[in-house]
Amino acid sequence: MKNNIEITTNETLGETIHKKVLSNGLEVYICVRPGFTKKIGMFGTKYGSINNDFIDISNGKRVTMPDGIAHFLEHKLFEKEGENSLDLFSKEGISSNAYTSFDHTVYFFETIDKFKKGLEMLIELVKTPYFTVENVKKEQGIIGQEISMYEDDPNFNVYFNALRAMYINHPIRIDIAGTIESISKIDKDILYTCYNTFYNSNNMFIVIVGDVDVSDTISIIEDKLKLYEQNIKSEKVMKFGVVEPTNILQKKIEKDMGLFMPQLSIGYKLLPTKKNEIIKREVISDLISEMYFSKSSKFYETEYNKGAVSDDIDFVYEGTTDFSHIIISTMSSKLDIIQADIFKFIEELKSNEIDIKLFENTKRRKIGENIVESENSNNSYRRIIDSILNESKLYYDLEILSNITVEDIKDFLNTLEYSKAVISIVK
Amino acid sequence: MENIYKVNDSKFKSIYISYNFTFETKKDEVSKNVITSLILSKGCNKYNTSKAIEEYLSSLYGTNFDINMEKIGDLYNIEFRLECVNKEFLPNKEDVLKPAIDFLYEIIYNPKVDNNKFDTIIFEREKSFILDKINKRKDEKLKYAVLKTEELLCEKEPFGTYIYGDINNAENVKLDDIYEMYTNLIEKSAITIIVSGNLNGYDNIHQYIDKVFEKKSNKVVLDKKSINVSEKNRTFLEDIKEVKEKIQTNQAVITLGMRVENLEDNDFYALNVYNSILGGTPSSKLFQNVREKESLAYTAKSRYYRFKGIFVIYAGIEEINYEKAKTVILEQIEDMKNCNISESELNSSKQSLISDLLEWKDSKISLAKLAYTNAVSGMSITIEELIDNMKKIQLEDVARVAKKVKIELIYLLGGENSEK
Repeated sequence: MKNNIEITTNETLGETIHKKVLSNGLEVYICVRPGFTKKIGMFGTKYGSINNDFIDISNGKRVTMPDGIAHFLEHKLFEKEGENSLDLFSKEGISSNAYTSFDHTVYFFETIDKFKKGLEMLIELVKTPYFTVENVKKEQGIIGQEISMYEDDPNFNVYFNALRAMYINHPIRIDIAGTIESISKIDKDILYTCYNTFYNSNNMFIVIVGDVDVSDTISIIEDKLKLYEQNIKSEKVMKFGVVEPTNILQKKIEKDMGLFMPQLSIGYKLLPTKKNEIIKREVISDLISEMYFSKSSKFYETEYNKGAVSDDIDFVYEGTTDFSHIIISTMSSKLDIIQADIFKFIEELKSNEIDIKLFENTKRRKIGENIVESENSNNSYRRIIDSILNESKLYYDLEILSNITVEDIKDFLNTLEYSKAVISIVK
Repeated sequence: MENIYKVNDSKFKSIYISYNFTFETKKDEVSKNVITSLILSKGCNKYNTSKAIEEYLSSLYGTNFDINMEKIGDLYNIEFRLECVNKEFLPNKEDVLKPAIDFLYEIIYNPKVDNNKFDTIIFEREKSFILDKINKRKDEKLKYAVLKTEELLCEKEPFGTYIYGDINNAENVKLDDIYEMYTNLIEKSAITIIVSGNLNGYDNIHQYIDKVFEKKSNKVVLDKKSINVSEKNRTFLEDIKEVKEKIQTNQAVITLGMRVENLEDNDFYALNVYNSILGGTPSSKLFQNVREKESLAYTAKSRYYRFKGIFVIYAGIEEINYEKAKTVILEQIEDMKNCNISESELNSSKQSLISDLLEWKDSKISLAKLAYTNAVSGMSITIEELIDNMKKIQLEDVARVAKKVKIELIYLLGGENSEK
């Protein structure tokens, strides 16, 4: 450790990550990638669409917020007095954007040659909220169109309906953007309550990826942050979860969208797990997807020959410490066949031995893929954010991949129970 | 072979190999081309099923292989592409590049053919796969609206055909057509091979590719003019055509199709700047007015088609706001025409285009794409030269091309669900 900077190097990927926790609690990660021209800066908060019930930091009272407010806040933070930050970045030739997920929100910029400027603007963007009655009203129109766009998106519908069938109380069943009705209840005061509570340094992180100088970057961040420190209390956030039963809400959910090609998502609700197990489940699921459902799998070949699949079948794990599930998705004009076959196949997998040669070959594929993917800067920040949210060590996924055994795969498959499975169809 | 191009940069860890067949196509042959190349990608004599192919590629440390179809204006390109890791980064320095090149040869030149006939089961499967692809493009409304605009705008031109062809032509493809198509593909289209990425330790890769593919070299050279927009294929509409289409949806989509008249090669830079100012970035006129000022849309963008000299503008709106959105969009185009553009709009647009160009350097695939475009258009322009030319664009250049942009089509994909 040098100047309290923790350095992690990964030889295989040729990357080094520098981590420093600033005096105000903010975590800063800098991933140095020599030779690459693009530099990315991200400023995030561990606050997303599922955090609607919490203690207001300003008065210690428990509050419940309208659905979609984290996403609304993300949009509104770009608005400044008489100008829009998106426009300000764009005028500098820097591209910027943001996204809101279930459990975090991130603001980011990408630049080639204006890194210092971009980083300062990013910090200013996040640190200077400007909410007014008029600009909140204007945003309701724009987000209304964003919601309509998602309502017309079959992928989005088939996925969210699977969540809605699986979960009974958990707010993961609510659209990230909320509904036109719920966002109409948002006003500037409650936006400030959410902002003040979740956008404090203890709850936030900065991630930098690119060919940058580490100590210069830390200085830029510390100098710029000093300007705003007095604005906000920096305290640990108190969020409340819900009690989620282990059973599912409904077995099947169907929606008619006038599609030519019907879509299917099968969800298996699982018991949530400890933080350090989450990445392990992700790695295992990725291997299962490749071994048993990809185009190289026996299952895919059989279904393809029946004409029951025409595109990929994905097997994906999603989870935090308070929800956990698998989603298997595909599209097919013969949904009845593929759906029945998937359930039958999962049961077979649970009782059959795992083919060691297939397992080793798939691991080999993943090692190569990780190297190719590391050329993409987006991959570097995704891995860092994953490790922040799961409080796991950096490159833990690669460590797990090299140590994984067939027993791990088998144990995981055995957690999939038909009685906890749901079927979502959009046609 | 002279059609092999190399891009070497040691910041990468992997290598991209792109084997391209480029040819002039007729509207009714698009589906035939696609089905033929899909069949090739699904098995050959040595690796006779998809599963066998993927198993072999897994053993080459997850080498990726697929095919990609693209319209380069009125030309059609079928790309067989591979991505693999440089041996330096693999356990025991195992070389997978040469086996990958050999694999590509097997796929393209050693297909499963019996008495000049491809396998009938695979043919039927790929044909129905393509029919599904054509039918299901309506499932994604915004994308469909843009595709439909391209088609309506270029109705009589090869470019105006969907990348997988249209239903009638796809349905009429017969097994017997495939062998003929295959022969045409390998004998009559121009072949361009690009190898891009970290080529350290592969000094003789050019010779190796030569050795593997030389006997199949066909000496076909593209007419360099055919890639640049040829006036012969361009049909101009006299009046603005307004088209409305009903579909089951919540959100409606408004699009405008525009065409550049008297297009010249060196208009390329000014037209890109034009597009960026009109609807290419968040500070563009469309984003600022349609979205931020009028709150009519979440998406409001424009796109320039370099090899076709056309623009498509698109925005997702509420259907009742159609007239209003149309008025606001038309005002922005009028503003462009009257050169109602600030220095700051010009500069930020140029900046953003230059950043995009610089970013190509971070992607071996973008670098390969540039090498390919250079090869087929007979140029050898570098990223630096592209940037220099972009920097030179002034307001008067944008004003000059803005006067050549003509609106030909206004299209509305209507929301049935929004009718209450």
